[in-house]
Amino acid sequence: MQEAIPYKSYMAATAGGRSRLHNFLEGAGNGGEHRLVANGCENNVTKLVVENAVIVFGRRGCCMCHVVNRLLLGLGVNPAVCEVDEEKEEAVLHELSVTNGGGVQFPAVFVGGKLFGGLDRVMSTHITGELVPILKEAGALWL
Amino acid sequence: MDFPSTQFVPSRMMGTYEPIHQIGMWGENFKSIGNPSISASVIVEVDNKLENESETASHEMPAPSCKHDQEASKPFDKIQRRLAQNREAARKSRLRKKAYVQQLESSRLKLIQLEKELEQAREQQGLYIGGGLEAGHLGFSGVVNPGIAAFEMEYKHWMQVQNRQLGELRTALNAQISDIELRIVVENGMSHYFELFRMKSTVAKADVFYVMSGTWKTSAERFFSWIGGFRPSELLKVLVAQLDPLTDQQIFEVCNLKQSCQQAEDALSQGMEKLQETVSATLAAGQLGQGTYFPQVAMAMEKLEALVCFVNQADHLRQETLQQMSHILTTRQAARGLLALGEYIQRLQDLSTLWATHPREPA
Repeated sequence: MQEAIPYKSYMAATAGGRSRLHNFLEGAGNGGEHRLVANGCENNVTKLVVENAVIVFGRRGCCMCHVVNRLLLGLGVNPAVCEVDEEKEEAVLHELSVTNGGGVQFPAVFVGGKLFGGLDRVMSTHITGELVPILKEAGALWL
Repeated sequence: MDFPSTQFVPSRMMGTYEPIHQIGMWGENFKSIGNPSISASVIVEVDNKLENESETASHEMPAPSCKHDQEASKPFDKIQRRLAQNREAARKSRLRKKAYVQQLESSRLKLIQLEKELEQAREQQGLYIGGGLEAGHLGFSGVVNPGIAAFEMEYKHWMQVQNRQLGELRTALNAQISDIELRIVVENGMSHYFELFRMKSTVAKADVFYVMSGTWKTSAERFFSWIGGFRPSELLKVLVAQLDPLTDQQIFEVCNLKQSCQQAEDALSQGMEKLQETVSATLAAGQLGQGTYFPQVAMAMEKLEALVCFVNQADHLRQETLQQMSHILTTRQAARGLLALGEYIQRLQDLSTLWATHPREPA
């Protein structure tokens, strides 16, 4: 699937257009993924969730995280990826859980600013065909 | 006086018959077993000659008469000597026979014991259930993982139930049963597969390599193995061909399912590749050749834990695919689909058996 993301519609997609442009340019030379690192600061993590149509939080070097990313990329999504260091892991998980009413585990996928789930949910919704419409609705897919 | 008649009396001590006849018989026995006991047959010949030569019949007591005393004493001595030799040979023969029989008996006992041990070992480890001898899961210590032993027993039972259910499906499809009843049969079939995934999840925690290697399956099934089982997309291909006629809507939905399946499989495969790279890099870290490597191995072990997740995710994908198919298909189609799937797997298992017993050219 070609990632044809017209600049205009990308800019118009959300209010946080500027940071998105920054991410988009960063990601161009990175196989489509762009990496952001959470420094464990409360604000930073929540901000990341809000600013990105799709963001995946996972441990650094986690293979399951890689699976989620590959699947999303295969669908034409350009997910933001947040690789969390081991030391920051607990803090980040706590922060994510607090604002999303529940125990969050890595890898954690957020779509449209809300917790979507882990690899399990991504897989099942993908098979049932529910995933793509949800992604489109959140502005993560334009096709 | 040593009457030659004694040798014609059955010897109570040895419990044998007339030595001459016995030797004749035993000579034959030895010949047939391949025991080169030439002396026995020679004695038979000698005896026959003797019987022919002497005037005295073999049944009568060759008591020397006074008349023939002079002439008869010479041949009589010869006869005596020969008969003594005969007795000696017979005795030796009896001893040999006894020893041989004892050896046979003890070998037989040993064989029975070995068979018993083998049977016990089989039950414990289920070595032959998968259709192939695999000692891989014994590990270096040779200690059997109880999780594996339990799984193999459960899987054996699972296959039996599977075959029974396939029979039920066949009957149900040929009979005129209601859709509701057929639905129950289909649900049972689906649940049975889900049960297998649960079993695999449990044994994966005990030994993930066991599940990955597919030891518990037959060889042809292993040939198609992808992360501890069948590729869902492969099975879909087999299924769809059996399910004509499908409505246009169904064809559309099945196509989508095939594509989604393929995408999910690709993602998991790529994840597996990354895991390989990670484990390899971890193991190779630092200098190779220094002799101390425990930290690297310990770290690699940690990384390898992810393999359990992969097996679970692969089975989860299989389960979801199965579920989705059952939503797309009608009850009747689902029943035919389950039957087709079951028979396909049976054919694979038969292929394994055939392959194993197929005569081959010596290397």
